[in-house]
Amino acid sequence: MAGCGNPVAIAGLAPGERVLDLGLGGGIDCFLAAQRIGPAGEVWGLDMTSEMVQLARHNAATMELANVRFRLGEIEDIPVADASFDVVISNCVINLSTDKPRVLAEAFRVLAPCGRLGVSDMVRTRALTPVEARDAEAWAGCVAGALPAAEFAQLLAATGFVDVAIDVEDSERGVVSAYIAARRPA
Amino acid sequence: MEILACPVCKDPLTLTIAGVEGDEVMSGELHCSACDEWYPIRDGIPNLLPPELRRALEANTPPSRAAP
Repeated sequence: MAGCGNPVAIAGLAPGERVLDLGLGGGIDCFLAAQRIGPAGEVWGLDMTSEMVQLARHNAATMELANVRFRLGEIEDIPVADASFDVVISNCVINLSTDKPRVLAEAFRVLAPCGRLGVSDMVRTRALTPVEARDAEAWAGCVAGALPAAEFAQLLAATGFVDVAIDVEDSERGVVSAYIAARRPA
Repeated sequence: MEILACPVCKDPLTLTIAGVEGDEVMSGELHCSACDEWYPIRDGIPNLLPPELRRALEANTPPSRAAP
């Protein structure tokens, strides 16, 4: 898995916040987030594969983290009520979705007013050469599915997010990791 | 638990508990009255995948993993 890390979103968390992680991996971002928000907050991790959820739940039990919950579900159909979370985080997952507008609309829906989105993801910074495109397909689906950075920003704005900021890794490659921040208006 | 919602219609769900460990529901079901759809809780994990996807995945799952 071409994980790109999400330290910025986790560093911005405050004690007591309610955090939703879209797509778990092994749950590492959930565990780091749980330590930041402390016992007054709560982290929910959502993943569509039962193996990942079982693994994350087992790890949470081993670490004796009581403020983390895991649910089996799709990021395109988030199974929580509107305005339930202060922060939505995600690490190299949204690019895997074949319906990114729907993922972002769902993230917007479950965020409380003024809630924050903090996503690490892969974005395209230019058109890929044919060789790069072929290599990208071979390397990982998340590279092939990466949106152009400007298109990602436009999609967030069209969804209703404000204060959209995309911090793109400085690289010659056409597909790079980026940190994407946005906020649901009050 | 109260913020859990139906993945399809986002209505609240009603919990039926079958087994508990400590303060955690280990097995049971969540019901959406609007969709008349049931979502299982197994091994402490609520399965809130959209029902069509859940059934498709279960169809590809060995029988040993079937519901108790």
